[in-house]
Amino acid sequence: MDMIEKRLKDMFLRMERQATVDIVKEGLESGANPFDLLRACREAMEEVGDRFETGEFFLSELIYSAEVFKAVTAILEPGLVSGDEGGEVKGSVVFGTPRGDIHDLGKNIVVTMMRAQGFTVHDLGVDVPPEKFAEEIQRTKAHILALSVLLTPAFDSMREAISMLKEKGLRKDTFVIIGGGVVTDLVRENVGADVQTLDPTEAIRLCRNYLQEEFRSG
Amino acid sequence: MIQETMSGQERFEAVVALETPDRVPVMPLMTAFAVRAQGLTQGEGWRDVDKGFKAMLDTFHDLGGFDKLYKPNLFWPMIGGRFCSTPVRVLIPGRQLPEDSLNQIDERELFSREDYDKLAAVGWNAFWDEHYQVMSGGRTIEQVAVSQNRLLDHYIKEVDAYHRQDIHPLFGAYLDSTTMAFSMARTLTQFTMDLYEVPEKVKAAMDATCDDLIQNALDVISLTKIPLVFIVLERGSGFYYRPEVFEKFEWPYLQRYVDAFLSEGITPWFHFDTDWGINLPYLKDLPKGKCICDLDGTTDIFKAKEILGGHMCISGDVPAALLSLGTTEQVRDYCQRLIDEVGRGGGFFLTTGCECPIDAKFENVKMMIDVAKTYKGKH
Repeated sequence: MDMIEKRLKDMFLRMERQATVDIVKEGLESGANPFDLLRACREAMEEVGDRFETGEFFLSELIYSAEVFKAVTAILEPGLVSGDEGGEVKGSVVFGTPRGDIHDLGKNIVVTMMRAQGFTVHDLGVDVPPEKFAEEIQRTKAHILALSVLLTPAFDSMREAISMLKEKGLRKDTFVIIGGGVVTDLVRENVGADVQTLDPTEAIRLCRNYLQEEFRSG
Repeated sequence: MIQETMSGQERFEAVVALETPDRVPVMPLMTAFAVRAQGLTQGEGWRDVDKGFKAMLDTFHDLGGFDKLYKPNLFWPMIGGRFCSTPVRVLIPGRQLPEDSLNQIDERELFSREDYDKLAAVGWNAFWDEHYQVMSGGRTIEQVAVSQNRLLDHYIKEVDAYHRQDIHPLFGAYLDSTTMAFSMARTLTQFTMDLYEVPEKVKAAMDATCDDLIQNALDVISLTKIPLVFIVLERGSGFYYRPEVFEKFEWPYLQRYVDAFLSEGITPWFHFDTDWGINLPYLKDLPKGKCICDLDGTTDIFKAKEILGGHMCISGDVPAALLSLGTTEQVRDYCQRLIDEVGRGGGFFLTTGCECPIDAKFENVKMMIDVAKTYKGKH
C-alpha cells in the first residue's frame, strides 16, 4: 500500500477528521488516483465496522467516521465523475423511515456505512408512504429493502410496504431488513420482514450475506 | 387479587427504599395512549388541556387504577423561560403533523459549536435569555414564558385535583441530563463531532450549565410540590459512547444532580432510554435506596437486577412492541417473569419500557396492571 493511503487510513481510524481531509487534499495535489484514496477510506470504514463488532469501537466512532467519509467523498467526487466506480459495487438498497415516523439518525448512519462499503443506496428519507418503497424497488431493481423505525405506529407502514411488494410480485426477490429502537423479533414476524437488527454492522453483514447467497444461487 | 394493605404511594415509597411491598407497584407511562383510548384524536388532546387532562383521568379509571400516574396531561411543567431541558421544536398533531399522529421532536441544531464559549461564560439560563429568539426564528423568550406559565398553572391545579382523588402524579419536575440537553441542542451527530474535536469547550459549557439546570428543576418542584425529579437520559449511554465519555461528560453532572436533589428531599428518577448496561455499575456509588433506575426495554433488566439489586430500585420494562403487537398471554408471561426475577426481594416497580405506545392494545396494558395486582411471584 502507498504511504499516503496508509497515512490516510491511520488518521481515519484515529478519528481525526481534519488530518484525514488534509491528507486527501495533499494526495490529490500530488497526483494520487482518487479511486485509490476512496478505496483506502472504504477500507478504513470497514475496519471501523469490524472494530465496532468486536466492541473496541462504539456507536460514536461509527457516527464520527461516517461524517469523515462524507467529507472525504465530497472532496474526491469531482475526480470520480469519469471512469468506473473504482470499487466493487456490493448491491443496491432502497432505504427509508416509513410513514408516521420522522427519525433518521440510525438510518443515516447505516446509509453512510453502506455507501462506504460499496452499496448503492436509494435513500427515500423519512415519513415515506408505503407505496413509494415498492415503486422504488421496481424502478431501481434493488434487491434489498431496508426500513428503520423508532415509533410503533410505523409498524403498520412497514407491514403495508412489504405487502405492496407482494402485490407487485417483488417480494420473492427482495430481502427485507428492518431496524430501529423499538424493533424486536416479534415485530419482524408481525410485519413480514426477513431479518431485524439494531446493529449497523450486522445490518451490512446480513445484506452482504444475502447478496452472496443470491449470487451463488444465480 | 392480592390482599392490599398499602396505598399506591406507600407501595411506591417502599420499593424506592428497597423494601418488599404488599404487591409490586405498577404504572404505564401513558400520555398519547390515554388520548386515543378515550376516542380522541391526538390533536384534540393537544389543543384542549381539559380534554388532555380528562383523557388521563378516565383512562386511569378504565384500566382499573394503578399506583402512580405518569403525567396529569400531555405537557411537561416548566417555569416560563427557564428550561429544564433543551427547548426543542415539538411537532404537534393537528398543527405540523396530521390530526391523529404522535407528537415528534424535530431534532436540529439549536446552537452552534461557537456557542459553547458563550454558555461557559454566562450559563444555561442567561444563554437562552439571549439566544432563544435567534434560535426560534423570532419568537421571544417572553412569549414562550407566557404559555409555559399558563401550562404550569394547569399542571399545579391538575396535580391538586388528582391528590383530592388519592391519585399521585409521579414527578414534580423533569430534567434533561447535561449530555441529553447538549446532544439535543446540537443533534447527536454534531454533538459527537464536538466531543472528539472540542471536548474542553463542551466540558466548560457543561460546567457552567449544570447548576442552572438543577435550580430550574428545584424551582418547578417548589411549585408543583411533588418531591420527585424525572431525569431524562438517553444520549450519554454506553450504547453511544465509550465509558471514558460517560465518565467525563455525564457521570460527574449526574452525581451533582443526585447530591443536590437528595439534599432537598427529592427523589431522582433516572429515565434510561437506550442500552445503559455498561454504565449501570457506576450507579452503585450513589446512595442506597434513594433513586430509581427506569429502563426502556433496551438495557437487559435482568442483568440490571444482578448489578443493582439491593442497592437501587429498578423500574421497567414492558417493551413497546409487546404492548402494540403481542397477545395478552405474552404480556402476562413477560410481566410475571419481571415480578419473579426483578421483583425478587423487593425494589421493583412494574412499568412500561419508556412511554406506553400510542397504539398499545388496551387489553395488553390492562393485563400488565392486572398481573401486578394478582401475581405474587415465585419468591
